[in-house]
Amino acid sequence: MKSTQYSEKTLDHFRNPRNVGTLEGENVAKGRVGNPVCGDLMEIYIAVEDDRIKDIKFQTFGCGSAVATSSMITELVKGMSLDEALKVTRDDVADALNGLPPIKMHCSNLAADALHDAIKNWRDGIIPKDISDELPSYVGKECDAPEEPYKGETEFLGKGVYNAVGDPGWFRDKRVLINDRGEASAELAMELEKFTGRVIYMTPLKEGEMNVDIKKELMKSDVKMLFESALLEIMGEGEVEKVLVHDLNEDQQYALFVDSVVILRE
Amino acid sequence: MDANVTREVYLDYQSSKPVDPRVLDAMHPYFSIKFGNPSSLHLVGDEATKVLEDSREKVAAFIGANQKEIIFTSGATESNNLALIGYAMRNKRKGNHIIISEVEHISIFNITKYLERNGFEVTRVPVDQYARVSPKKLESRITDRTILVSIGYASNEVGTIQPMEEICDVIKRKGIAIHTDAVAAEGLLPLDVNEVPIDLMSISSNDIYGPKGLGVLYIRDGVSVVPTIIGGGQERGLRSGTENIPAVVGMAEATQICSAEMPEEAKRLSSFRDRLIKGVLNKIPKAYLNGHPTERLKNNAHFRFEGVEGESLLLSLKDRGISVSTGSACTSKTLEPSHTLIACGLLHEEAHGSLEFTFGRFNTESDIERVLDVLPGVLERLRGLSPLYEKELIQ
Repeated sequence: MKSTQYSEKTLDHFRNPRNVGTLEGENVAKGRVGNPVCGDLMEIYIAVEDDRIKDIKFQTFGCGSAVATSSMITELVKGMSLDEALKVTRDDVADALNGLPPIKMHCSNLAADALHDAIKNWRDGIIPKDISDELPSYVGKECDAPEEPYKGETEFLGKGVYNAVGDPGWFRDKRVLINDRGEASAELAMELEKFTGRVIYMTPLKEGEMNVDIKKELMKSDVKMLFESALLEIMGEGEVEKVLVHDLNEDQQYALFVDSVVILRE
Repeated sequence: MDANVTREVYLDYQSSKPVDPRVLDAMHPYFSIKFGNPSSLHLVGDEATKVLEDSREKVAAFIGANQKEIIFTSGATESNNLALIGYAMRNKRKGNHIIISEVEHISIFNITKYLERNGFEVTRVPVDQYARVSPKKLESRITDRTILVSIGYASNEVGTIQPMEEICDVIKRKGIAIHTDAVAAEGLLPLDVNEVPIDLMSISSNDIYGPKGLGVLYIRDGVSVVPTIIGGGQERGLRSGTENIPAVVGMAEATQICSAEMPEEAKRLSSFRDRLIKGVLNKIPKAYLNGHPTERLKNNAHFRFEGVEGESLLLSLKDRGISVSTGSACTSKTLEPSHTLIACGLLHEEAHGSLEFTFGRFNTESDIERVLDVLPGVLERLRGLSPLYEKELIQ
């Protein structure tokens, strides 16, 4: 079966998703599963009254079945008690959609997990808030590069690794990775982007933890943001060709092809 | 599909092309009236032999080759197998090292994995952000055990054209053989083995509007391979099995049409491409072009869109009668995103949000306008569903 061979009901929920959006208020909890690396990210908001799901909304980044399962579960559980809702499984969601292609049963059928996460957060008293309002503004100290150089940094210094940037034009057409060292590195990222077309700004911070003003500027530009990530190793043959990245959220490692790595060191 | 869609718009010529009606006409007699087997010694067989060799001559002329250098196969995948496995096995005493790039077609990837399991060493040379191979970098990977380099003429995904002449310069200087899978470039670039000193070249019939099930391996005179299909000794013993005469005739006709019409066709396709790229990048925020801005196939426009996923895009366009491809993992058999996009330095989430448009002979300007009408609305709806896309940040 083709991965996109969906039932009519699945297609209907994809085309006309129910209950899209977010919720706010004292009685709201949020659940979140998946990650954009694997192609799906779901967020489900529940408003709880008398231990029942009074209202429910979702936002999803993902393929057709990711959207459809999110939409379907909001219809299934609206009005249910929290205990009833916890009993709704992935299979129930797939059945309600008249089945999913087998290859999609696991990767894109996470809505039940997101809902259960929301209920758990509600019971644990974890309320969604705009986290960035809560935390002190990020000033860059947390992310200073360690005293010790990164693995491969010394080997490739001058051959793709740079601790300072003189002429940004020199980076034309190169893929540049800059690690977050506060405002100076963010400004440099935006400056370099004008020349290279490809700048990745890597930070160990979560999206909500970053200084709002810096984040806004970066996101307005074409700099690609890479949150919750750490540099493990710089690799190549004779010059920088790729880096090994640690995805802190998923605790996974992957290779990313770049030509230059900028690690600002005073 | 919506009821108000009047006709389908097909923009996935890279995946499959219709057989040109003129090709179909040329093939027709060879299914039933002229049904001979070239191996037979009677008149019916002689007729088949003649048309086989006439067709071979036409196909050879299409790439500036000699008839003797053309081996008909069942398609480009088989040609790639014969080129890589056939050459590696024939020349393994000279060395066991093969170099390919990180952006080769999946068949090349998997054939070299097979060779690795059989004692060969394979190096994949990285590419730049536009999917281009650097001849200098390629040269740095050559060892005294290197016997073969295989680099696709152009990317079948992002449409980037490789600097083949410079690559050949570097490789030939070292006395190493070079193979190219030229399927993506076929019919869009003049392929001339006199201009570019390729040793082995895979091409396919369908990619120039001929029938599926037929391909060619060009083998330069003096280059030796062992067969990968053994049998009655057809095709100089290099590819056994009764020749697929209707398809051979079809491919020969397709080369004639292609040679005659390529200059006009190229102009038309590149105007579509440039119109679509300009329109998409202007109309849609946070849209980016994948592949090379100028060194790209005339029929290819490949984009990525921040905050959306490719399969969702594909399904939404399908609902509006538009057929396209995506590099998203969600549509692949392995659930892995396109290795070409990853090799260009894209993050997984970016590869997931990519969309590939490839045009061809039967597209019209209105097809492009239709995409430009529909796509912004589709993006807006899907981004509205996505927690990853924060509208207020992108004004």
